[in-house]
Amino acid sequence: MRLPQFDYYSPRDLPEALDWLAEHQAQGVRVLAGGTDLLVDIRGKVIPDGHRPRCQQHRSGPWSARIVSSEPTDCLIALSRIPELRGISLDGHHLRIGAMVTIAELERSPVIRELLSGLSDGAAQLGSPLVRNRGTYGGNLCNARPAADTAIPTLSLAGKLVLASKRGERTVDHDDFVTGPGETVLEADELLKEIIFDLPDNTHGSAYIKLANRKALEISVVGAAAALTFEPMKPNAGGRGSGKTMMIEEAWIALGSVAPKPLLITEAGEYLKGKEFNRQTAAEAARIAAETARPITDHRGGLEYRKMMVEVLVRRALNRCRDRALSGVDHEVGS
Amino acid sequence: MKRIVNLRINGLNYEIALEPRRTLAEALRYDLGLTGTKIGCSIGDCGACTVLIDGVPSFSCLVLAVEAEGHEIMTIEGVAEGGKLHPVQQSFVEIGAIQCGFCTPGMVLTALAFLKDNPDPSDAQIRRAISGNLCRCTGYQKIVDAIKDAAKRMREKQGVL
Repeated sequence: MRLPQFDYYSPRDLPEALDWLAEHQAQGVRVLAGGTDLLVDIRGKVIPDGHRPRCQQHRSGPWSARIVSSEPTDCLIALSRIPELRGISLDGHHLRIGAMVTIAELERSPVIRELLSGLSDGAAQLGSPLVRNRGTYGGNLCNARPAADTAIPTLSLAGKLVLASKRGERTVDHDDFVTGPGETVLEADELLKEIIFDLPDNTHGSAYIKLANRKALEISVVGAAAALTFEPMKPNAGGRGSGKTMMIEEAWIALGSVAPKPLLITEAGEYLKGKEFNRQTAAEAARIAAETARPITDHRGGLEYRKMMVEVLVRRALNRCRDRALSGVDHEVGS
Repeated sequence: MKRIVNLRINGLNYEIALEPRRTLAEALRYDLGLTGTKIGCSIGDCGACTVLIDGVPSFSCLVLAVEAEGHEIMTIEGVAEGGKLHPVQQSFVEIGAIQCGFCTPGMVLTALAFLKDNPDPSDAQIRRAISGNLCRCTGYQKIVDAIKDAAKRMREKQGVL
């Protein structure tokens, strides 16, 4: 089946794109980034009438079907030729990632692997290599799915989203950006321009762990991201032999696939703040996360199972943050 | 409304009139007759339509043909040189990594791009690299074997030169 009819507009730079969007705020304008979701979404689907999966009635027919498609699409504005939306750059304590940076670029960037390990984990586990080669970071965020593999680490790393329009720019936190499944605060004339991370001065580590039924082309059952910053370490503090005491300065924990949007577990972060990192504190933070998560039962997993897995994954993610803060990043991804 | 699009495919320039909704996979098959590229699912799951865009394996079913303008595209038709199979193709044939053949063009192109960056890959790296290309016949083992074999051939060839 072919794609529906639409016009296509491909601006050469950001001001041109924003001017055009300001004039064409009508419904039916969709923003084309990598296309790995949008072009699937706008293609009509054949749905048999009265379709109920695995239902006796359905098997016996009679067959009739209709073609359904998502919102009408009159025009696509393609962002692929806009240079301002590309590139990853490190400027002192700020790391800037353009919205049109592909997932594969995120995955392969040594800077991101080192400084935003959790985001690197997420990028390496999104979809399949072919999806990662075309799909973009900005696209994944703007799609605002509750399981989005780059969104969960972005939330835990306190990424700030810069939204641009002809009226000017504004910066929003990821938690305020997503308002529901597939819904964001983006106005009709706005584009996501870039994502900015403030890097901590002190030792830090982050991680994202995805639980899914397969290793590729899969949506997570549960995804857990954590980011920890530690106070400067005093050798042999506490006088307990060779073990180093690691005091937590900042802690962020975020979960995917357990709520209508990526969920920040502020209670667990607050609990860890100022405490020593050890087995007990990590376990308690994981327990708080499992208690706060509000998953549903669906074909990917049951509510009870998901809650149990939240506890396990958060604990593992916290341990991985600690290991990375101590000894640097492991370079084998996709575990 | 149709527009004129210039595509560079396998080193040749093509000027064709296309609607913006035409995907690259459709343009290759229906407008240019390059039917080596297969269309399986049309929604970016199966990888049968894989082509290289500037050397990067991409679904041609999820790229609009107009978006491919200005980029270097390689399809399975451009892999063999002067009637001689590429080492990756030769290995696929000899190892028996082809059964029905529907996934083969995409699989070969993915392997080709992968081996450029990883001349001596492990099985696990190969399996991860082809995880976006589905094969319903082989169970993948022969494909992994063929890619390993191709890597060896390419290393040897490079050693000679």
